[in-house]
Amino acid sequence: MNTILVNGDPLEWKDGMTVRDVLTLKRFTFPMLVITVNDNIIDRKRYDTALIPNDASVKVVHLMSGG
Amino acid sequence: MSSHTTETDYPKFQRCEVDFTQRTEYLDGLEAMKAAHKVLKEWTFKPSLPQQGYTNRTLYLNVGTLEVKEKAVTQQMKDMFIGGRGFGMWYLWNAITPKTKWNDPENEIIITPGPISGITQYPGSGKSLVVALSPETEIPIDSNVGGYFGPLLKFSGYDSLEIQGKAEQDLIVFIDGQKGLLRIEEAPAEPLDSHVLAEILTRMYAENDADRVNISVVSSGAAAEHSLIGMLNFSWFDKRRGCIRLKQAGRGGIGTIFRNKKIKALVIRGPEVKGDMNHPVDQETIAKTGIKLHQELRSNDPVQCLMRRNGTAHIIEIMDAYDLLPTHNFQYGSHPEVHKIASYVWDQRCTQRTTDGCWYGCSMACAKGADGVVLQTGPYKGHRVTVDGPEYENAAGLGSNCGVFDPEFLLELNFYCDTYGICTITYGTLCAFVMECYQRGILNKERTGGLEMTWGNALDDLAMMHQMAQGEGFGKIAGLGVKRMKALFIANGWGDAALINDIGMENKGLEYSQYMSKESLAQQGGYALTNKGPQHDEAWLIFMDMVNKQLPTFEDKAEALYYFPLWRTWFGLYGWCKLPWNDVAPSDNAKTAEPTKIPEHVQNYLDIVSAMTGKKITSEDMLRQSARVYNFQRIFNIRMGKGLRLHDHAPYRSQGPVTKEEYESRIERYEKELRDQVGVDPTTMSLEEKMAATRKYRIDRYEKLVDAVYTRRGWTLDGVPTQARIQELGLDIFPELVEIVKAHGG
Amino acid sequence: MRQLRIDMGKCDAGRTCQHECEEACAIKVFKLDSPEHAALHIRELADGTGQAILCDQCGDCVVVCPADALRRNKMGAVVLDKELCVGCYTCIGFCEKGIFERNPEWLVPFKCISCGICVKACPHAALEIVDVPQPEYRII
Repeated sequence: MNTILVNGDPLEWKDGMTVRDVLTLKRFTFPMLVITVNDNIIDRKRYDTALIPNDASVKVVHLMSGG
Repeated sequence: MSSHTTETDYPKFQRCEVDFTQRTEYLDGLEAMKAAHKVLKEWTFKPSLPQQGYTNRTLYLNVGTLEVKEKAVTQQMKDMFIGGRGFGMWYLWNAITPKTKWNDPENEIIITPGPISGITQYPGSGKSLVVALSPETEIPIDSNVGGYFGPLLKFSGYDSLEIQGKAEQDLIVFIDGQKGLLRIEEAPAEPLDSHVLAEILTRMYAENDADRVNISVVSSGAAAEHSLIGMLNFSWFDKRRGCIRLKQAGRGGIGTIFRNKKIKALVIRGPEVKGDMNHPVDQETIAKTGIKLHQELRSNDPVQCLMRRNGTAHIIEIMDAYDLLPTHNFQYGSHPEVHKIASYVWDQRCTQRTTDGCWYGCSMACAKGADGVVLQTGPYKGHRVTVDGPEYENAAGLGSNCGVFDPEFLLELNFYCDTYGICTITYGTLCAFVMECYQRGILNKERTGGLEMTWGNALDDLAMMHQMAQGEGFGKIAGLGVKRMKALFIANGWGDAALINDIGMENKGLEYSQYMSKESLAQQGGYALTNKGPQHDEAWLIFMDMVNKQLPTFEDKAEALYYFPLWRTWFGLYGWCKLPWNDVAPSDNAKTAEPTKIPEHVQNYLDIVSAMTGKKITSEDMLRQSARVYNFQRIFNIRMGKGLRLHDHAPYRSQGPVTKEEYESRIERYEKELRDQVGVDPTTMSLEEKMAATRKYRIDRYEKLVDAVYTRRGWTLDGVPTQARIQELGLDIFPELVEIVKAHGG
Repeated sequence: MRQLRIDMGKCDAGRTCQHECEEACAIKVFKLDSPEHAALHIRELADGTGQAILCDQCGDCVVVCPADALRRNKMGAVVLDKELCVGCYTCIGFCEKGIFERNPEWLVPFKCISCGICVKACPHAALEIVDVPQPEYRII
């Protein structure tokens, strides 16, 4: 199965998929994020290049917001 | 790709190059207004500066009897209540009885800046807390507000200003902290509306041009007098623009009480501000901590929230993307026209290249200003004005929630709310309710007296607001707020009572602020399990709960609804703003154990308090300080006949889909929930059955959440703090508290 | 506007001088016998080269000052009005060159005003005051 988990929800995996692709697909546009791929923190500068392996567990933790 | 729309995406918008020093002037007749003042009372005092954050004195003022006196701030008050909202609650508790009504003379307005307020080095350190018995909720309300009044009050010699009584004629109270003089003056001639009044009074009471920055005015406006949703404006003088700016103590109708007491304005003239006026034990730590945050804002704000450019409006399109932007009275979470009011528009429309902090040293500077706004309606039609904001709440409440997507009308709505002295959040939610009632035939043109309250009809929306300011027509009814409108519409037999109750977004009598809690159980609690009513300043858990899925169990949600309300209460005890806590984050925040708490910033706050008072405090101390005031306020609510489980009930619109259209707009989500969580097969059910099953499931879950939260907070299942909890917090030194909880099974 | 410049080809970062520039600034401008409180700094780096930390009068601090205490003087140099300063240190935090500084003994910060005292003190004539066009204020 070509699937990854993003915050626990399944998402179809594609070869060459980057962190940025996941953010775009999930419409995660909030700027204050803490992202881990299989528990490794991905720095903001690597969102466009960091590749996501098949079966990965991706966590996109949004910090709080709201006036 | 940045989350923020860039200029190249919308080339048709050009940067708005407005001369920000130009606006309509209101100074004609100033001398005549001044000459019409009649001094009713003069009182002298010895100005003093705080030591370690406290002046240890409160200024008590009765505008009815004209009694003025000083009260000592005791060590017990400082130990138990810290300051700010804590002092406000304590004074109000002593001033009123369980029978007091909001418009009784004994009701008070207490303004308290808090022991760190007035620090100039750390962003967000100039707040005042305002406490009163609310006309909307009939329980204590607290509101956290910027502007210079609080710090200047403290630097004049007082930790709190306690105002009681009711005057017969319009008054201005002038406190001169340079000369040690207080004057109560009858002031018949000045207009009420804040953008005019604060401008006039700043010039009237400043001794020369340079003195204007030492003046701050608290005022309300015409609509506060005729509604229950009145707000207080706190001014400061913006030197570069050459005009006053306003920040709002918005929620719960404090401006209504202000006008009911016939107070036209409070004016303070403080001493010239310097960097050490709080006389902390350790100025060096505060200086270093402040510079560290300034540097963090310089380097990180441009890649994080862009608060310095857009203020809180930066989240408008983000809330839309996450289906969280309240649209058409919280029915939906997004709208195709949101780009018209997105942060990009405000980035262009607000004046950049100036400084917009509502207190010195706030380099987050979110108090943006749109200059050169020419008004299209109302008594100031044709005037050129500066409008503060819009903040996110205003853009969402006055904008998407009412279907208004025209930025110029949004600015005009924002402007009139401010100058008329009514809360933008409250007005947004109540107008959205009116519009939905109009859509569903609960209201019609006849019932509104000719107003066509269709979605997005900004002109009739403004007409309703002007009526509110005049105290006439349907605007006067709307000014009663959602709770009283619901009762009135039901009593008039206008539509289905159950539907009206489902869609009226209020809890405890206070209108919801502008976030969609429908798909986040934790946020439903974050709104309805609050002390004062559904404001987002206790807990904003939508991302943690709904998006991050960090709170899977009731216990997890309850823990968040224990920690965050206490953490957020703490800002209000000390006089801090919440925004610099989490609208910027250190570069290495991701590597910390609990990034959502922003541990480095929590430590900054603890370090500053320790440096101010000389007593080292920990995050456990923080929780304990907050829990005392939080539980005190809960018991205060119970004392006023509220504060029980029954009062923590939430309108179904905040919990799930009320209408078929709402259900169908998120049908995938709801059907997945029915299959996976409820364990039924939606394909075999009618729409009505599916909606009923969803409703039953969601309300059941909410009740389970309430159980878990009350348990975590140390309350009974009826929401009463237990005797054990109040003993643990040391609140049992107040026998009346013990009696109240005992009487309610606590 | 007047701007202080350095020729790092001439400055030898203290190898054959006594940091006369910093000393002169501290003593003559700030009346302090502590060159660490000068409004310019010449640092000796491990590789033997030097690094100069100078104010170029860019004006970023003028934009961020909430008290309007920073203004350009007739020569274009940014000058702090100590009476108006509220000691918030936003200027320090937002100075990208790290040259807006503070002395823990003082409430108000301090900065270079392109006065040229250091120019005269430099034994290698590495420093000069030049006249350059005043830059536009930036949105920061």
